[in-house]
Amino acid sequence: MVIVEIINNPIQSFNLNNNDNQNGAELVFNGRVRGTENGKPIKYLEYEQYEGMAEAELTKIANKVCKIFSVNDLFCRHRIGKVKTGDISLHVLILSKHRKEAIEAMDWFILELKKHVPIWKWAILNNGTKIPSDCIH
Amino acid sequence: MILIKVKCFSQVKYALGVDELSLRLDDNSTINDLEKIIREKAGNKLKNVSLRIALNQKYLTEDIILREGDEVVFIPPVQGG
Repeated sequence: MVIVEIINNPIQSFNLNNNDNQNGAELVFNGRVRGTENGKPIKYLEYEQYEGMAEAELTKIANKVCKIFSVNDLFCRHRIGKVKTGDISLHVLILSKHRKEAIEAMDWFILELKKHVPIWKWAILNNGTKIPSDCIH
Repeated sequence: MILIKVKCFSQVKYALGVDELSLRLDDNSTINDLEKIIREKAGNKLKNVSLRIALNQKYLTEDIILREGDEVVFIPPVQGG
C-alpha cells in the first residue's frame, strides 16, 4: 500500500498496526531542517510545491518503489510552507519482509524524490531576507 | 494568437518577481519559443539555471506547439526532502 501526503502542518508519524506479522522490517526516515544554509544561519525554510504535480510525482515514485523493491508499504508525508530549523520536513516509513530491501528502497525513493518532485526551498535568513535555497542535497 | 499561463517557482519566481504570467503568443509558438521569452524577461538571472519543462502538470522532454489555455512551468532543480 502507498500513502503520500503533502501537508502544511507539523508532521505526525504514521500509526502502525502492532498486530502486523507480515513485515519483519519497519524503516523510518525523518528529514529535518538544518540551522544553516551555505554556512549562513537561517530562521526557517519555506517549502513551495507545484500543487497537483508534486503529489502526482511523489505517488508515481512511491508506486515504482513498491514494484522494483520487495516492499509491502510505503508511507510518506512531505511538509510545505514554513518549517522551523530542527523540525521534520519529510517523513517516510517503509515496511518489508526483510531489512535489506527496505534500506535500498528508502535510499532510492529519496534520491528519486530529490530529482523529480516539484518542491523547492526558500531560505529565510536571520535578517529576514528570503532567497531561493541552492541546496540540492 | 493563443493565451497561455506560466506558473513560476523558486529561481524562476525570484528572477521574474511574479507567481504567474499570462502571455499571448503567436499561433504555432512552441515551448522553446516560450522558454526564450522567459529567459529574456529574466535578464541574466536564469543564465546558469537549467530548466525542465512541465506542460499541464506533466514533464515534457521534447519541443511541441503550444495550445490555447496550456499551463507551463519551467522547473529549476527541485529540492524536496
